[in-house]
Amino acid sequence: MLELDDVTLGYGARTVLRHVSFRVRSGERWFLIGPNGSGKTTLLRAILGLIPPRAGALRMDPDRAARERIGFVPQRGRLDATLPTTVREFVSFGFVGSGVKRPEREDHLLAALAQAGLSGLAGEDFEALSGGQRQRALVARALVRRPHLLVLDEPTEGLDVSAEQTFLRTVVDLNRSEGLTLLFVTHKLELAARFASHVALFDAGEVLAGSRATLLRTEEIERVFGARVTLSTEGEA
Amino acid sequence: MIADFLASWSLFGTTYLVGLLIAALLALVGIWVVARDHIFLGAAVAQASTLGVALGLWLGASGAAARAGWLESDAIPALLAVAASIATAWSAARAAGSGRESEESVSGWIFLVAASLPVLLMAHHPHGLEEVERLMFSTLLSATRVDLVVFGALAGATLLAVARFRDRLLLFTLDPEMAAAVGLRASLWAGVTAVWLGVVVGLSLRVSGLVYTFGCLVLPGLIAKTLCREVRPLLWVAPGLALVAALLGFVLAHRYDLPPAHTTVALLGFALAAAWAARAVRERRLAALS
Repeated sequence: MLELDDVTLGYGARTVLRHVSFRVRSGERWFLIGPNGSGKTTLLRAILGLIPPRAGALRMDPDRAARERIGFVPQRGRLDATLPTTVREFVSFGFVGSGVKRPEREDHLLAALAQAGLSGLAGEDFEALSGGQRQRALVARALVRRPHLLVLDEPTEGLDVSAEQTFLRTVVDLNRSEGLTLLFVTHKLELAARFASHVALFDAGEVLAGSRATLLRTEEIERVFGARVTLSTEGEA
Repeated sequence: MIADFLASWSLFGTTYLVGLLIAALLALVGIWVVARDHIFLGAAVAQASTLGVALGLWLGASGAAARAGWLESDAIPALLAVAASIATAWSAARAAGSGRESEESVSGWIFLVAASLPVLLMAHHPHGLEEVERLMFSTLLSATRVDLVVFGALAGATLLAVARFRDRLLLFTLDPEMAAAVGLRASLWAGVTAVWLGVVVGLSLRVSGLVYTFGCLVLPGLIAKTLCREVRPLLWVAPGLALVAALLGFVLAHRYDLPPAHTTVALLGFALAAAWAARAVRERRLAALS
């Protein structure tokens, strides 16, 4: 679905990531982990086509990872709190640039709301939602495009543990039921240990990528994060 | 009252129509100012237009006009008003994008510079300060048939653009990060909306003055934002409110011999206060029910 071959990325004179190579196959759950400022979001921006690689090749499957078939979930929906919108309207903005025809939109919208567990809240004011519900509304907005690849940029940041677990359950269930491929940026190791099939560890401008069991070992984590942490890598796969 | 107003149509018909068109057009464009909560930017853009007009008048009266007669043309202040508006909207958008200065900081700086420079430029001009005061005071009486055509064309083009690109424009306004992620070119959309805001405000200010321009730019959008539950209806509710307020304002102004621009803006101001009060009552009722 997606292949990075010796990719280098940066902004202006600054190189952020060097020699990044890994391949994402359909249906995998990739967790991109690293300290703040390590280049995780830069890589996402490249995958979304917002910045071109300086070197190397970033190849996307034209059928499964075309722009119209990528769903993006940002850290926060940047809405002015005084601006009125309902959950239904908010989610419907996901159709922009999707190529979904107007007659099909109602079905897509209802399905996306149901998948995100928001069917009963469609008519509610967006501002009335809890933090966890808002994040699921962001997922629904991405799902109306019927994506093959869902890109999530630290979507559980600021959520309490219960809302975070509900959110992760929602996207992992989508991965299992719909075969949706996930690219999930986080700096929370415990989430990757539990939900990832593969991880990419960001360390000093380089990326170490592989299966969860291989990479979430105590030595690797200590090298990247500078702290000795032992995780259970049994996960939920 | 209505019959008197209709009887005045033969004399002031062009003024009324231009005023109505400007009100609806500014209210529609103002959605993008209100939706991003950049009210002060609206004030800065309108004030910058005043500076553009003053600069045009100053050039026309300066020694440069003796060598280049075209500087005395009436079109120069209008063009400079539009240019100043575009430059303000554009530089504020760029400032927000760079992250070094907030849009509010740049807007505040422009507002204050644009408020003080026209007075300095016109201080020794025979009728300069009168012209600056006229712009600040707001009057629609100088509207011409050419203005009618210009604002009719602008309103038509704006309606077509909104009909064609509604959701793209709204998504870019509400959530630029998401808009970029789905393939919208943020810099292009920022540039187009800044230029359009500058053109509409710059041209409106020359005809209708600061109070009417700024009032119609932000007040209908703010009222609509308070009354509506969704974003898309703002696009017809705000221009509709502006049209109703302007028409009512013109009728009352004619009946009681008041300035129509100020009457309209005062009505919109009272309507906003009423909308806020209605929302507070509604929220209290909902809180009591829950």
